[in-house]
Amino acid sequence: MSNSVSGFKSLRFAVALTLMGVLSACTTPPSGDADARAAYEEANDPFEPANRLVFSANVMVDQLVLQPAAVTYRDLFPDALKPPVQNFFTNLFMPLSFIHAMLQGDTDRAEQAAARFFTALPTLLLANTMPEQDPVFEDGGQTLAVWGFEEGPYVMLPLLGPSSVRDTTGTIADFFLDPVGWLLSTEASIGRAAANATLTRSRNLEQVRDLQANSLDYYAAVRSLYRQQREALIRNGASEPIQPAPTIGLELDEPPAGPENKETAAGN
Amino acid sequence: MRYLAAFGLALALVVSAPVAHAEPHVQASAEFIDNLADRAIETLTDNGLDSRMRRDKFRELFREGFAVNGIARFVLGRYWRRASDSERDEYLNLFEEVIVNTWADRFSQYSGQKFEVNGAVPAPSASDSENVALVQSRFFTDPTTPVRIEWRVASRGNLYKIVDVSVEGISMASTQRDEFNAVIRKGGGKIDALLDELRDRAGG
Repeated sequence: MSNSVSGFKSLRFAVALTLMGVLSACTTPPSGDADARAAYEEANDPFEPANRLVFSANVMVDQLVLQPAAVTYRDLFPDALKPPVQNFFTNLFMPLSFIHAMLQGDTDRAEQAAARFFTALPTLLLANTMPEQDPVFEDGGQTLAVWGFEEGPYVMLPLLGPSSVRDTTGTIADFFLDPVGWLLSTEASIGRAAANATLTRSRNLEQVRDLQANSLDYYAAVRSLYRQQREALIRNGASEPIQPAPTIGLELDEPPAGPENKETAAGN
Repeated sequence: MRYLAAFGLALALVVSAPVAHAEPHVQASAEFIDNLADRAIETLTDNGLDSRMRRDKFRELFREGFAVNGIARFVLGRYWRRASDSERDEYLNLFEEVIVNTWADRFSQYSGQKFEVNGAVPAPSASDSENVALVQSRFFTDPTTPVRIEWRVASRGNLYKIVDVSVEGISMASTQRDEFNAVIRKGGGKIDALLDELRDRAGG
């Protein structure tokens, strides 16, 4: 047991070291042009050159290992057994979700995580595809956000994928906080992580292919999607009532009433 | 007893009034989405349609249902102000073209999945003359895990248009904007870098 914890420690330490090495190569903010400066700050990605490098390595690993594994799972694993397998691994997240919901002071969601954990146990055995309680996903990064920590710059982690300074901190904390991790050997934990990665990837094979084919800048698209997905998780799925500024209005899209309409479209 | 009944009635009126009269645009926005989705499924998913005809039909619905130019301007972000008139014109054309090309083909893969509108709520509007509603819906890619889709609908009088679509909390307009801005930034802040990419895609 103590062996597995120290195993994690050295693993995390190695990741942290690699990270620091990678991060030391960062861009200098543009000077002068106000628009360029604003665009740079909005991207909030001072390590972009290093991040892009890690990203292309990750994409390669994905193509060589993860995607084939996910396709194999999708095509060869019996369909009837997929829901219970998914439920099993989803369920293993619930203890960590419970802890983080408590840390966030959200007893409702803590209760839901506990309910899911216990109601999913029998459904695992009966292969029920629809446990009554939806799963709850709370993690270290979300708790830090609820506590008021800033997101910090975007970080592309080797193998682990897109993150931010806040989420990386959360991920490291979760290695120590996750009760399921205490019970598993290092090998079992790595196996669990690999299984989760394969399951997730098998569910988004089409979407990723579509995104790769249709995005103008795959890296930037993933960065945007990652941030928005994290924000949605932090809001616990509630819709965001306020539209990001500037708002999208109708003034350019009204039916052509007269010749003055064209001028409005050109102005502004 | 009569007083009590009258009081009960008054209370019921007071309580229900804001709901019953709750901004008619909200309900109308939900109906607008429901209607548009029905027509999209009806006209775009026909297997006999060749890709050119599907694109034409999609373009028609897209122009009618979406604030295409408003979205395009938002997506260009701060670079809209810098763009010359001719750049804006070309950009608006290319933007529509690229969206039509990518989305029309996605409809050809539709195979009867269920789509349902679940409700709508009012949202703050930046403009006094426009109302905004968020219409919530679900799309069942498989029977157990529906995808949550939220439509932001702006309206003025009888004019209803979609200004953004969020899938599981991820805004299409914001994603597109971040991506376009990255392309321009990589191209040294030149809008032409983006136009080049879009010209490539529009040709396909």
